[in-house]
Order: sequence, then C-alpha cells, then structure tokens
Amino acid sequence: MKLPIRSLFLKIFLWFWATVIATGIALILTFILQPRSVPSRWHATLMETARYSGAIAVEEAERGGASAASAYIERIERETHLQTCLFDLAGSLIAGNGCESFQGMISHVMASKMSDFDMRYGIARVALPLQGSSGHEYIFATQLPAGPRAALGINRAAIALQWGVALLVSGFICYLLTRYLTTPILRLREASQQLAAGDLSTRAAAGMERRHDELGDLVRDFNAMASRIEDLVSRQRQLISDVSHELRSPLARLNVALDLGRERKGDDPAFDHMEQDIGLLSEMIGRLLTLARLDTSAAPVPMTPLDLTELVSQVVRNADFESRERDGRVRLTAHERYFVRGNAELLHSAIENIIRNAVRYTKSGTPVDVILECQNRSNVSFAQLTVRDYGSGVPESELAHIFQPFYRVADARDRQSGGAGLGLAIADRVIRIHGGTIRAENIKPSGLQVEVLLPSWRSKGDFHKE
Amino acid sequence: MDRILIVDDDVELCRLLAERLSPEGFVIEAVHDGPRGLERALSKEHALVVLDLMLPGMGGLDVLRRLRAQSPVPVLILTARGEDVERILGLEIGADDYVPKPFNPRELIARMRAILRRTAHVATPASPLVAGDLRLDPAAREVWLGDVLLKLTSVEFTLLELFLREAGRILTREHLTEAVLGRKLGPFDRVIDVHVSNVRRKLGPAQGGERIKAVRGSGYLFVARSETK
Repeated sequence: MKLPIRSLFLKIFLWFWATVIATGIALILTFILQPRSVPSRWHATLMETARYSGAIAVEEAERGGASAASAYIERIERETHLQTCLFDLAGSLIAGNGCESFQGMISHVMASKMSDFDMRYGIARVALPLQGSSGHEYIFATQLPAGPRAALGINRAAIALQWGVALLVSGFICYLLTRYLTTPILRLREASQQLAAGDLSTRAAAGMERRHDELGDLVRDFNAMASRIEDLVSRQRQLISDVSHELRSPLARLNVALDLGRERKGDDPAFDHMEQDIGLLSEMIGRLLTLARLDTSAAPVPMTPLDLTELVSQVVRNADFESRERDGRVRLTAHERYFVRGNAELLHSAIENIIRNAVRYTKSGTPVDVILECQNRSNVSFAQLTVRDYGSGVPESELAHIFQPFYRVADARDRQSGGAGLGLAIADRVIRIHGGTIRAENIKPSGLQVEVLLPSWRSKGDFHKE
Repeated sequence: MDRILIVDDDVELCRLLAERLSPEGFVIEAVHDGPRGLERALSKEHALVVLDLMLPGMGGLDVLRRLRAQSPVPVLILTARGEDVERILGLEIGADDYVPKPFNPRELIARMRAILRRTAHVATPASPLVAGDLRLDPAAREVWLGDVLLKLTSVEFTLLELFLREAGRILTREHLTEAVLGRKLGPFDRVIDVHVSNVRRKLGPAQGGERIKAVRGSGYLFVARSETK
C-alpha cells in the first residue's frame, strides 16, 4: 500500500472521522445543554439516593452531633468527590465544606418546604428537607452523578483514556473504510498512467473486476476501453506497416522500368525527375516503416555502448559539407567524449534528422549550432545535445506537435523545402526508446532549439575495458 | 553468359529484370515460389541465385537453409527494409550479400558482378596455404581442419584465403568488404562482420585461443602461429 497522502484519501478519511467525532460531541452536548431534562425515572432514583444519604447524615448528627455528621460527609466527599452539605431548618450550616453554591437551593427549600432539583454539566444537585427521629428538621443538599459523567465518573485520567480509545477506534474504522474506497481508484489511476505512457497491454487488476459495486463497474469499463484502444492502435500500426510494404513492390518495378527507359532512350531530364521522386517515395516508405517498427517495438532494439561525440561529429561533418552550398555552416561544440548505450543506426538517423531539419529552416547565410555537453539531473548523468537554428522558429501553440508524424507548421515551412515530415517523429521515438527526452523551444530573437537528453553510459575508461 | 536464377513472387518484376539484365550479359531464369526455387537452385546450372526473402510456399530463409545444406552456390538476398533481423539471419545462414528493396537496378548489377567476379576468379594453381592444423587448397577450393573437410560458402572461402595470405596483419573492414564483396563499405554495414563471425564459428577455437581476432576500431587479424607445431 502506498503512503495514503493522496488528496482524495485524506479528504474522505478526514470527513468520515470528523463526522464520527462531531456526532459524539453532539451527543455529549445534548446532555450538558439540557439541564432539566433528566428522565423521570432517573429523577426518582436520584431523589431516593439523596434521601437515603441524607437520612444517614441526619441520624449521625442527632446521635453524635455536628462532628459525627461532618465525618460522614467528609467520607462521602473523599470517596465520590461529590459535594454534600447538611443545614438546619434556618439555613445555617451544620456539616460540609464549600456549601455556598447550595445557598440558592437552600433558600428555595426554606421558603417552599419542598425539595429542589438542579442539574448542570451532567451533575445533579438535590436539596431536600428531612426530619430526624427526634423531630428536628434539617435540610440536606448533595451533588449526584447523572448523564454521561455518571457513567464515566469524574476521574480526568479515565476521561482522557476513554476519549483516546474512542478516537483510535473511530480513526481505525474510518481508515479501513477510506482505504476500501480509494485503493481501487489509485490502482485504476496507475493503470491509466501506464496506458497513457504507451503500454497498451495494461489492464486494471483482475481482482478488482470481481467487485460488485460501482467501482467494479468502473474497472470493467476501463478494461474494456483499454482493450478497444489497444486493438485500434495495433490495427492502425499494422495498416501503416502493410501499406508501406505493399507500396514497395510497384516501386521496385518502377525503378527497373525507369532504368530500362534510360537504357533505350538515353538520358533525359524527365528521367532524372522521375528518379528523384522515386527516391523520395522510397525514402518516405522506409521512414514510415521505421516509424511503424519503433511504435510497435515488438522486438527489443539491440544496443551497444557507443561514442556519442564521434557519432554526432560524423553527422555534423556531412551536414556542414552540404549546407556550405547554401552559404550555411554547421558548428559543433563538444568539450569531451560522451558515451551512451544505444543503437548506432537509429541514433544516427535521429540526430541526422534533427540537424538536417535545422539546416533546412535556418535563414540562408546563418549557421546551425550543435552543442554537446554534460548534464546532471537528480544524480543521473545525461549527455545533452542542443541543436539551434536561426530561422523563424515555430509558433508557440504548435511546438508540442512538431514531433508528430506528417505534422507541418502551417506557414512558411512548405513541401518545397523537402522532407516528408517524418524526421522529427522518428527522432522522438528513437530518443524515447533510448530512455531519453526531446523537446523544442523558441529562442529569442529568432530560431528554434531542439534539446535532447540521453542517459550517459559510464566513463571512457570503462568503455575501453569492455 | 552467366546464368542467374531469380526467386521472387513478383512476376512482373522478374520480367522487367530479365529484360534489363539480358543486355548486360546475364541469362535470367525466374521462378516465383519457394519449393520450386529450391529445386532449381540445387540444379547446379546457375552461377548466382537472387533470392527474395518474402516468398509464398516456403520462406526465403528456409529455401536458403536447405540450399546451404547441399550447395555453396552464391546467393544474393533481396529484402524489404523492416526485415533487418531476417537480413542478418540470411547472412548468417550463408547468403553472400543483400540488396534492400526497392533497389536501383544498376546497384543490383554491380553487386551481382562483384560476386561473379570473385567466384569466377581462378587463381593460378597455387600451393596450399597452411596455418597450424588448418589447410586451404586454392586449386580444389577446399579447406581442411586436421582431417575434416570444412563446408564453407564461396564468400567464406575467399575471406579465409585472404586472411591466410595476410596472416598476422590487421585487415580493415573497408579493405575486407572491397576485397571480398567487391563493393564499398556502407554506413552501418555489418555484412562483412557476419561473414567473419561465420568463418570463426566454422573454424572453431585453435589450441592457443582465437584464430581471428577483432581489433576495435580497425578490423580483423588472423593470428599467425609460427610457434605452434
């Protein structure tokens, strides 16, 4: 189980728990805030208890005088922590301590000759007139436990313990309930993340499909959706692969027929055009197949340790040679040799695509800068390749799309400039297969910068020991 | 006039190729399925077999495997890209070289010529080359390891002959490709490496270690063992 510090988990848990606690507090408050609503049977019992203790106190007072009564009352107070007092009929104190609080009730009893009852904070207070065996009359006043405090007693440690237990138990139950509700949601979220990351075979755990509640329905629907997506995507990829493959046969025939034509009719500019376009078609089909292969990636790509600096400078040399025809330059800045683990052919084509793209769109007469350097991100060492052109850049809103197949920025970048719009898409797939990232951003005042991060592969020394 | 067998299920392509190749001095026979292709290839009537890997009936790799069990005839495979693994497998099974589809006919002709030049090359009756327990007889085109006759394809034979003649010297991959396959080394071209590894596998290890050593960054080296036996 993951650490449940997820917002939904916390919310549900806290709400449930708060509800339980609030209910408890409300119950207690009802007792405290309704002072005179003690049920009548409790009332009778309380009066009976008071009358009984009172009778004993009066008897003690008549037999042994005020001191005997005081001893008895002190014993009650010691054992029960309940305040008890004995007065004579005139209202003067015979025994008991701190009896001023009963003053109001005593006056009431003296006036009415009736018992008085009062209740506050779960403690009942009773004052009643009593007659001793000698015929003397007394007034007995005492506190009696009633309500929740009657059950709990008034020991503070006990109250704290019982509150603690109540909190723990309710907290535990709320935790279980919340976990029961949120775990499937978290699992489902993990599954959909994996699905979004490209693992189309992901399904939510089979165990959750057996739930008969709404979450079970959700999981079943999710899995059905995932199957459908997987099916659609794989069919689309298969289609691209099949179509490209089938296009190759007529293209192969066209190639031979064209060559036959040349042999018979001699050289003609029309033949050159045809050959150029056949070449372009052939290249596009090749790239489409590469893309389809990278997307399906059924078989793992074979990877070996390789010298990235060497590979990049090779590409730069070729690109530089070609761009000199249009007054351009491709400049490489690399401070040391960087090694990565990868597939040389794929990486070469990815980097070539990125650099050629920059050469194509940089303004004529401006250079393309290629920088290779080291980057450390959270203790992992990366080789960072930056390719910057001085062209007009790409509108911000379209930056995210330039790695999609056949995507073309609407303005300026017309088909006349060549290429099939597959180069950056291939680069993106290749870099991701190598565990790297690729992103593009506009640079002020003008130009586009493509940044590639590839995980570094050990140091040069290790490389040569292999 | 070299007789060439083309095994490809694209009938129209075969017809066009025959038309294109005959002025170049090739006699073309075309068959369009695997089993028939294997039968014709085993007839020993052809100087070269051009084999497509995608064939109905029996796949090109199966045809090649069965052909190699009985015949060292040179084989050039045609592959559509996207079959990289099959291309390497084809070379390992014993194809001489490959041409990706769609191909430029001139490229195909150049590769065919290179292979034919090598096999037609009749060395002036030379004395056998010997290295330890290994003996190569250029006249009979036979290689003996101890008293076992090795089955090498013609490209493997040429490669080994080159190694023996230049024993103890580093041969670059560029040089080997040009000398053995008759063409320039392309980018990411692993054909020569597959051939070298085939030869290595067939020779097995010598008593003193590897017979053919890879030299990182430059090429291969046949270890001369004047000190052994």
